[in-house]
Amino acid sequence: MTDILFLAWRYLAHYRVKTAILVTSIALIVFLPVGLNVLVGQSAEQLTARAEATPLLVGAKGSPLELVLSSLYFESDVPDDIPWAELEAIADSGLAQPIPLDARFRARAHPIVGTSLEYFDFRGLRLAEGRRMAVVGECMLGARAAADLAVGVGDAVLSSPESLFDLAGVYPLRMRVVGVFAASHTPDDRVVFVDVKTSWIIQGLGHGHQDLAAAGAAAAVLKQEGNLITANASVVQYNEITPENIDSFHFHGDLGEYPLTGVIAVPRDEKSGVLLMGRFERPEVAAQIVRPATVMTELLDTVFTVRAYVVAAIGFAGVGTLATAALVFLLSLRLREREIETIVKIGGSPMRVAAILVSEIVVVLVLGAAFAGVLAVLASRYGSEAIRLWITS
Amino acid sequence: MTRRVPILAAAIGLIGLALALACGTGEAEKPPGAEAELRDERLLVFAVAYPLQYFAERIGGDAVVVRFPIPAGIDPAQWSPSAEIVAEYQAADLVLLNGGGYAQWLKRASLPRRRLVDTSAGFPERRLRESGGVEHAHGPEGEHAHAGVAPMTWIDPELAIAQARAITDALIAVRPSAAERFESGFAALERDLRALEHSFAVAAQELGGAPLFFSHPVYPYFIRRYGLNARSLHWEPHEVPTEAMWTDFRAALVEHPARWMLWEAPPEAASEALLESLGVRSRVFDPCAQPSESGDYLERMRRNVEEFETLGVNQPAVSGVQ
Repeated sequence: MTDILFLAWRYLAHYRVKTAILVTSIALIVFLPVGLNVLVGQSAEQLTARAEATPLLVGAKGSPLELVLSSLYFESDVPDDIPWAELEAIADSGLAQPIPLDARFRARAHPIVGTSLEYFDFRGLRLAEGRRMAVVGECMLGARAAADLAVGVGDAVLSSPESLFDLAGVYPLRMRVVGVFAASHTPDDRVVFVDVKTSWIIQGLGHGHQDLAAAGAAAAVLKQEGNLITANASVVQYNEITPENIDSFHFHGDLGEYPLTGVIAVPRDEKSGVLLMGRFERPEVAAQIVRPATVMTELLDTVFTVRAYVVAAIGFAGVGTLATAALVFLLSLRLREREIETIVKIGGSPMRVAAILVSEIVVVLVLGAAFAGVLAVLASRYGSEAIRLWITS
Repeated sequence: MTRRVPILAAAIGLIGLALALACGTGEAEKPPGAEAELRDERLLVFAVAYPLQYFAERIGGDAVVVRFPIPAGIDPAQWSPSAEIVAEYQAADLVLLNGGGYAQWLKRASLPRRRLVDTSAGFPERRLRESGGVEHAHGPEGEHAHAGVAPMTWIDPELAIAQARAITDALIAVRPSAAERFESGFAALERDLRALEHSFAVAAQELGGAPLFFSHPVYPYFIRRYGLNARSLHWEPHEVPTEAMWTDFRAALVEHPARWMLWEAPPEAASEALLESLGVRSRVFDPCAQPSESGDYLERMRRNVEEFETLGVNQPAVSGVQ
């Protein structure tokens, strides 16, 4: 038996290029469906984990998927607004703790998420440097955002204008970095976190300007009638909130009408969650409530359907590859007629010749499968990290 | 904005998105502050107004540590704490708010919502709007004023009791095991506040409908509670009113012939003398907005009762309006 394996091995080693091509082809055809399963499984697990860690999500009526992608992963289009009053209503119900989300602006490629301090406890984010935001105009960065923007505690981050050519649009706000979170390996790493009030200031709903009643502001006053002072266009509005001007920042209108892109609702218990969901069933309610885990499961079902098609296609390609490999072996038999005759003449039986040829095939298959196994292990251990780095680089 | 994301495209993009995630989460951030040891034993409570601090101390006793870290001589309504002090508020188990927009800095601060207790949330219908306030207009939103709700609810003992009840309920919610302690603290405080209320009511009855002036518009709840015939000015005790203000006052005195002016703090001697010359005597009614070495809330309110009682039994002689 050893001599048969020796001869088979020597043959394969002699034609190492042909052997390498065959082994690689077989390895890939085995690895692709396995690796795809592993990576999709890992991805689904991570997505599901974040969705399952977010019990309920409230947002404007529309696409639940858009709401979940926007609120959990800070991707997708900005959903329609819901008013702050929705958050107040959830809080007043006593059924759940509401956490506001206002994710509509960016600092370069990084989402600016307006929220409250409860979000950091809810997500288990741990400070690596600095402190939590305390007043408007301060921000905290996820680890990846801090690295990409090359800023740390004490530096500043500028919100990106919505449009370069919209002179009446939202102007950038310069925000002071007061804290940087340790890497959480979640979408939070890419985020510039601000208080939701800071987000409203970026949106122009709150602002600070020179005191129009002060003596030095005469040039900015268009007219004054009794207690009403009307400013002209030269009134100085601040684009950075500092200890010197923070007292001038104020908000206009009814706070209950202020916009949010979503609200995370953390119910007291399962029953409270069901009761809260029931409140949003009424047709007059302008908002929707979703279980992110359910939305993501539906999405993943679609992913798994796509995966099944891909695996089937790979299966067909695999059959083709094996047929090609068989053809290579059959053709090689013709080329090896003299070699086989020589083995027979020196005393090798036809059975022994057949055993040598079968051994060659088995060795190639085993090597291919082993190579595929190594690739699958690497994919399961480092695949998602490698692709994540590739995507975010 | 409501464009639907094609589910198939989203599904295909999902793998890439998901792979941008990785596993592992950190522990929840522990609130900063040097109070960690205290918090193991006692509740750490921060207030935005002195009376709330006093109420919480009376109710909580040894079970709470109550802080109101305002520097001396600063008006709490206008105070704007530094980010470092706001961080101390963040570390509290409870933050007691007066509500109605009192302490404007709250609108610019990041505080944990679930630890905020609006002590006047239970009586929105009894809040009073503040008059005045400079309006201004700029930008697309047009005119707006920054005047809000009259803040000093605690001058009305009935409202003070309601606020103390809200504090008690909040403390019990956080530390149910100390409910008995908190309830007994509240009961003692309520007795004191009811006694105050009774004394003020008796004094107000003796006063009848006699006209009064208050030097500042911080007493509307007190005026309403006892049905006083009072008008409020915008005079500061440490400033002598200008000639224009005196002129306006003389005119007001014709329509509203008051014999008493109640000040937030002892007025300047010149102001007092000028008022005397118009037949108007001065008394001090401390609104107790700030901590003071002159006593705690109850002691100062009792002095207010004593001052207020003198109005009905000691009417000054009219010397005529000039």
